[in-house]
Order: sequence, then structure tokens, then C-alpha cells
Amino acid sequence: MKLRISFQARIAGVLIMLLLIVVVAVFLAVKAATQDAVSKQAQAQLEVGTRVFEGLLEMRGKRLRDAVQLLSSDFGFRDAVASADSATIRSVLLNHGARINANDMFLLGMDGKVLSSTIEQIPEGSPFPFTQALRDLKAHNQSMLIVPLQGKPHLLVESTVLAPLPIARVVMGFSMDDDLAQELRSLSGLQVSFLSVVHQLPGQIISTQPQPLYDSVRGVMLNPASDQMQMTEHGDQTFLNKRLNLGNTGDAAGDQVVALLQSPLDQAMQAFAPLDEKLFWITLVALAGSLVGTLLLARSVSLPVRALALAAERIGEGDYSTPVALERSDELGLLAGAINSMQSGIAEREQQLAHNALHDGLTGLPNRALVMERLGSAISAQRAVALLYLGIDNFRAINDSIGPEGVEQLLQVIGEQLQLPLRPGDTVARLSGNEFLLLVHNAETDSAVAVADRLQRLLLKPQRIGDHDISLDACIGIAAYPVNGDSPSELLRRASIARQDAAQLPGRLQVYEDGRDLAHQRQISLIRDLRHAARNGELMLHYQPKLDIRNGLVRQAEALLRWQHPQFGNVSPAEFIVLAERTGSIQILTSWVIEESMRQLAEWARRGLHVQLSVNISADDLLSGDLADRVSGLLKLYRVPAEQLIFEITESAVMREPENALKVLNRLRECGISLSVDDFGTGYSSLAHLKRLPVQELKIDQSFVRNLDETSEDAVIVRSTIEMSHNLGLKVVAEGVEYEHSLRLLERWHCDTAQGYLISRPLTAVAFEAWIAKSHSSASMMVH
Amino acid sequence: MTHVVSSLLVAASLLLGTFASAATLTAEFVDAQGKPLTDAVLTLQGPSGKPDAAPKADMDQRDQRFAPHVLAVRTGTQIRFPNSDDIRHQVYSFSPAKRFELRLYGGTPSDPVLFDKPGVVVLGCNIHDWMLGYVYVTDDPWFGVSNDKGTLILEQMPAGHYVATLWHPQAPDMQPVPGGEIDIPAAGLRQRFSVAVQPKGVDMPAAPPPSAFGDAFHKAAHE
Repeated sequence: MKLRISFQARIAGVLIMLLLIVVVAVFLAVKAATQDAVSKQAQAQLEVGTRVFEGLLEMRGKRLRDAVQLLSSDFGFRDAVASADSATIRSVLLNHGARINANDMFLLGMDGKVLSSTIEQIPEGSPFPFTQALRDLKAHNQSMLIVPLQGKPHLLVESTVLAPLPIARVVMGFSMDDDLAQELRSLSGLQVSFLSVVHQLPGQIISTQPQPLYDSVRGVMLNPASDQMQMTEHGDQTFLNKRLNLGNTGDAAGDQVVALLQSPLDQAMQAFAPLDEKLFWITLVALAGSLVGTLLLARSVSLPVRALALAAERIGEGDYSTPVALERSDELGLLAGAINSMQSGIAEREQQLAHNALHDGLTGLPNRALVMERLGSAISAQRAVALLYLGIDNFRAINDSIGPEGVEQLLQVIGEQLQLPLRPGDTVARLSGNEFLLLVHNAETDSAVAVADRLQRLLLKPQRIGDHDISLDACIGIAAYPVNGDSPSELLRRASIARQDAAQLPGRLQVYEDGRDLAHQRQISLIRDLRHAARNGELMLHYQPKLDIRNGLVRQAEALLRWQHPQFGNVSPAEFIVLAERTGSIQILTSWVIEESMRQLAEWARRGLHVQLSVNISADDLLSGDLADRVSGLLKLYRVPAEQLIFEITESAVMREPENALKVLNRLRECGISLSVDDFGTGYSSLAHLKRLPVQELKIDQSFVRNLDETSEDAVIVRSTIEMSHNLGLKVVAEGVEYEHSLRLLERWHCDTAQGYLISRPLTAVAFEAWIAKSHSSASMMVH
Repeated sequence: MTHVVSSLLVAASLLLGTFASAATLTAEFVDAQGKPLTDAVLTLQGPSGKPDAAPKADMDQRDQRFAPHVLAVRTGTQIRFPNSDDIRHQVYSFSPAKRFELRLYGGTPSDPVLFDKPGVVVLGCNIHDWMLGYVYVTDDPWFGVSNDKGTLILEQMPAGHYVATLWHPQAPDMQPVPGGEIDIPAAGLRQRFSVAVQPKGVDMPAAPPPSAFGDAFHKAAHE
């Protein structure tokens, strides 16, 4: 609005200013021209009027003269004059003067003396005052004399009375009265004023001007300097003046008759008043028109600009759906088009951004944020919802075999497949590389399990990716609202816990169980603390004696790791070893174990105790590559013979990367360290595979040994394993020997070594030393 | 005019023929500048008395002029005013020597006008302002008016001593001027008279231009 006002105001201001300048200029020009014209016209009128006036006066004079001449040649008049009878003459003067409306009459003798007079001031016998003037008049062939007489201007006309010779002169005076003035005015078109001046004293003024102006008119007439045409103001009127000195008496006394002719300028100006008025209206109309035009123009600009501004504001507020409707072909129209395309561009990109923010770039599935949001809204609506946390267990192996491109393709396939068992409204989201989250609405735990089972089966079907048929091993953890929690983050965490739990289960499917998150917390604490356990001196080794069945002596032991946690106390190796393996900190533990074992062996050696110690090596150790170097360094450091060490490895550790593992094992073997296969029978490895390994010993898993009796299936496995191992040149260790009859069976089957609670539980280094000392003294008790 | 004068002179000579000796006076009139002066009047008072017969004279009006312009007559002369024009005239005089008025007339009025007082009688026509004539009435027995050559010849004059009086219309104040005394021998006399004349008065009306239509128009325009 502000823009509009200022914009309009500016345009309007400029235009109106220009218009005003033009109008004022035109007005001034017209005014000047009209004034000039009026002035010229008035001047011309005055000049013409003056000539007319003079002509009229002259004509009047001639007429009067003719009249007087006619009169004077009247026989009766002449007769009367010739009679020389004063009374008669006087009466004939009055009589004949009345005929031609003369005001004053004189009869002069040829010598200029007054013979008869109608004016007392000029008595009979006195010389006529204007004799000389009359003589001049005749000489100049003029017809009349204008003189002041009795305070009034008069026309004097003379005629000679012929009888037939001139015997007298008759002079008649005609007062220049208002009638004459009016007549002259009507003929000349000028205001006419007469004034007689005698001895510098003005007489009565005769004027066609209204009475109130007499004084100012008289003032002008008395000013002898005003003979030129000049302008004067009388009252509120302006006149162009022409002052005429009519008196032609040639009188030095300064007696004179002045006429003032005035051309009224105002009247002439009035003729132009309609022009002024028209100009005024034209100006007004032009101003109004330009104002309207300007406003329309400004509107035609400011409205679209405003619309564009509003559109820009709308776009700023995120409204991308309303386009700017501006049907114009000009620049503003172009701008509107540009804004519209910008709007759609922004909308598209924002949609893309929003999609990217809430979706996985690779599969196009919703991401964690979106699924959490949907979960949150389901919770706030108090709708039952189940959260399925799905992980692909064999993802790493698949990744190795089909490469990144294959994985991308596979993930997309998985994304599609995960949708299949879902209803509309349910959500599949990708969390990370091999983890997905499914949000199933209106699902209790049971139906969620059903969905999970279907998913597992779907994923298990081999998928053709490139040249590979991929079968996916999915483990799924389930947490459901409201039973397993009432916040999205809690549900997610619990589903994740359930999924980790599921990974340990054969069915690969786990519904969250109450308290699992406490256990999980403990796990997290353990994982966190495990890294620092060795440094903090919380770790220690226990030693479980291994009985040489043939001679009944104990010359061997297995070093077993114990962790005294400052908070949880003794933590079972079954708990923390798994965590260490999962989190990659197992190598810290194994290297500590190796070094501690050597240190202990060295210590015992100094006291004369020589035992062969078994140490558990993790798969990570085998893959790290520098194990052999570290071990040989430590052997040198502690001056422990390599023969005193046996490294126990699990089948699965070797199976993960057989080639690399084999290299490490060979190098260890070159160092002189014996190798043993731990937990034999739990993995999928075959004896044929074992044959390739540089191992000297095989350790039968305690699950086969613990309840060993003669008739059980275990007995067949144990016995055949022993026999087969011996055939391969391997010694056999049976662990988990808890019963005497088990030991007897093992002895009968020629098992080489036994380990278990029957012989001894794991002992501290001190206890072990003591136990060895005691057992040696009663070695016969142990072996029958 | 010469013819009229000569006829008058013939008449006079007839009247005076009885005198024993007769002389001729040739008077030449000049003005102050020595130019011949027309219409100058010379009267002579001489040795013999005046004639007793009642003389008669004519003042004609011809071409809207008085003819002669100046007529000298003896006191008691009956002057007729025949009108030779085809228009009428109204002859008048306001002169103290003879005030008279002849009402508009054509032809010759029945009664002549008697000029019984010496003096100058100025004649005018009331309807033709420019018509001007003079009748010089004198008691002197001998008189005459100079012709257009400024010459006056008086014959049959008795020789003797005369007192001359001069007059001219343009004489100062139109008064007679003494012409001195002359002796006319029997053989005649040639005498030169000088008369101081004033220029014609400006007041004298002039004859209108000869256009009757212009006259009428002019009048109409100014009335």
C-alpha cells in the first residue's frame, strides 16, 4: 500500500507539476498576449477615438460656424445689427442665439469692441477677450475657439455680419456640456471629460465618467505632464488616457480647456474574461483528467506490482499453489510469468528437499524422521501400532559378493518387497545400510509377528541380482504401542533391542520383553567399560587345569578371562565376550590375555612351574594380520618358549575368512605355537576342512561331553571325533568333563586330554599353583 | 461698364455743353504702389453751381454682380436697379446714406430709388452674399469712376479751379479722401491721383464654386 501511494503520488506529482507549469506558462502567455492586445486595442481605440473626437469636435465647430454664419446672414438679423440700436441688437442676439441653442452671444464691432453681450462679465464697450484668438482662428482657417467661460469650457464661433460689407462680428458661445460629452462618447467609444482652467483654477468638470471618479479624473486633467498616452486607475477601473489641450486661445495666462479621453481597459479586459474562465476550466479539466489518468496509470502499474509483491509474500510463506494471475503482455506480465515459473520451481525443489529430508535417497522409502513422526502421530491419536525393526544379517556377505551396485539394486528390491505384506497407511522406512523399520497400524503384537514372519519368508526367497541369487536372512525385533512403550523413541529403542535379541535366536524374530531394556543398558555399560577394563586392572586370568588322561598328570591349563566390574561385580565371560566380539573390542581383550598369560608363564617358570597354557584367540585377531608378529615379540620379551602356548580358535573364526586366517595360523605355527580348534562340533566346518588347517589339537565342545554316557548320540560323535582326529594326527581335548564315568569313557576311547569341573574349576594363578603342587603329590588319585 | 460710363459722360457733356469753354480732365488713379486703380471715384467741386435737373442712373445686376461695381451719382439721383440676370435678386443697403430694400424681383422694378443724401451706399443682395456694389452719392457736380485701366476722363469741363475728392471702396474706413485742388486749363489736364487703398477685407464673402450640386451637398452635409 505504501508502495502504491508513493508510486502513484510520485507519478501524479510529476505529471501535475508539468501540467501546472505548462498551464501557468500558457496562462501567462495568454495573459500577456491579451493584455498586450488589450493595451494595443485600447491604444488604437484611444487613437481612433481621439481622431474621431477631434473630428467630431471640428465637425461640430464647423456646423456651429455654419449655423452662426447662416444666422448672421439672416436679413432681419443683419437689419437689426445695422440698426445700431442696442436693445434691438441684444434682443436679436438672444432670439437668434436661441435658434441654434447658443448659450452666450456677443456682437463685436469690427474693431473688436463688444457691442452687445449676454454675459455681464464682458460688458458692452469692453474689448472682447478673445479678439486676437478669433483673428488667429480665421488665419488658421479654423472654425471655432474653445475657451473657458464662466468656469465652463465653451465653443466660440464667430461670424461676420455683412451688410454686405462686414459691419460687425457676431460671436456665439456653446457650452460644452454633458450632452456634448455623452454624444462624443457614444460616437468615439471613449469616456470624455472636459475641464476649464482659468488662472490655474479648475472649473466645473464635465465628464461621462460617474460622479465618484470626478476628483481623480480632474487630477489627471490638471497634470500637464500627462499629454502622452498613459494609464491611470480610477476607483477600481483602469483607463488608457489621452489628454488633449483644446484651448487654442494662445493665452499666456494659462487659461485653457482640457479634454480627457479615456479608453476603459477593464472593459476590453472583460472581453477576455471568458477566455480566462475557459482557460481556468480547461486547466481544471486537464488537471482532473491528468490526475485520473495518472492514478489509472499508476494503478495499472502498482496493482500488478502489489499482486506480484503479494505473490512473493505468499511464496515466502510457502504457498506454492496459487499462481499470479496477471494477464499482461508487458514487462510486468513477463515478471509475473517469471514469478510463476520460479514458484513452481521452488515448489518442486522444496518438495524434493522435503522428500529428501524425510526419505531415503536410494530406495525412496521414508527415513527415520518420517517414520518417527508418523509413529508419534499414531501415538498421540492413541492408535495401536506395531514397530518392526528389521535387519539383514547376511548383508555384509552379500555386499562382498554383489558389490555396491548390486546392493543398491537389492535394497530397492527389498524396499518393494517390504511393502507387500503391509496395508495402505503402513510405513516402510530405511534406517541405515541394512536396517529397516516398519510401522504397522492397528496391529497387536500377534498380528505384528504374523507380518514379520511373512516378511522373513518373502526375503528368504532368492532374488536374482545380477548373476547372483540372493537369499536374505532378516532378523526382526518388534515393539508395540501401547504395550511396549508410549513414546516413539522408546518404542524404537525397544524394537532395536528386540532385534538384537532376535539376532541371537534361531527364529530370528523377537518381540520385546519387559526388562530387556535394563539388560540392554547393562550391555551398553559393559561395552563402554570393556575398553578400559584392562587399563583399570579389572581383568584377571583364571586357569583351569587340563588332565593328561593317559598319565594322569596335569601339565596343561586353559587361561580363562575374568572381569571384576566396579559396578556389576564379576561379569560372566559368556556375557562380555559376546559383547566384545560384537563391538570389536575383543582384540583388546585377547592381546591382554596373551600378554598376561606370557607374564604368568614367565613368573611360574622362575618358580620352576612349567605348564602349557591354552589361550582363546578371536576371529578378529586372526584377521588383524599382525598377531604373529606381536606374539613373537612378546615371547621374546617374556622369554617364554612358544611350545608353552596353545592358541584356541573356533571353527567359525576360521570360516569367516579362511584364506587370511590360514595365513595367520601358519605364521603362528611357524613361531612354534600349537593351535587348537575350540568348540568343535558347533559349527558347520567339516573334518575335511580341518585337514587344511595347521592345528595339532581339537577340542570337543562341552555340549557333547557334559552328559556323556555310553549310549547317547553324543558318545558316537565324541568317539568318532576322537578316532577321526587321531587318524588325522590331532590330539583331542574334551572339555566340560563333570562326571567320573564321562572321564572313564574318554579314557577308554583314548581321548588325550580332559578338562572340566571334575578335574578342577578355573583357579586363580595362586590357587592353580597350589593345586598343581597338591595334585603332583597325589597324582595317583587322579588317574586310575 | 465703360460703355455705361461713357454714355453717362455723354449725357453730362450734353448737359454741360452750354458752357463756353470746355476742357477735358484725364485722371489717372494709382494706388500706393503706383498700380492703376479701378473703381476709384473722383468728385470735383468747381467754379459753377450744380445742375438742377434731377438725374437718373442705373445699377444693373448682371451675372450676379452689381454693374457697375462702383456707381457715383449726384445727390438726388433716382437710380433704377434693373435685373439682367435670369434669377431674382433682393437688393438692399443698410448704409446711413440710404437704407432701402428691394424685395425679390426680376427685371426692372417700377420705381427707382432716390439717393438723396451724399455718402457711400453699400449695396448687397440678400440672397447672394457675394454681390457687392457701391453707390457713391456726392453733392459735387463733377464726378466719375475710373475704368479698369485706372483712368477717368471727364470732358466738357469748364476750365477753372476745382477741389478734388477721392474715394475708393478700399479707402481707409471707406471715407472720402481729399484729392487736392486742381486747375484745369482749357486745354485739358492730365492728372494723376494716388489713393491709398487697403487690401480687400478677409470677411468678404466669395462667390460659391460654380457647382450647384456641390453647393447643395455641402449645405446638406453641414446642416
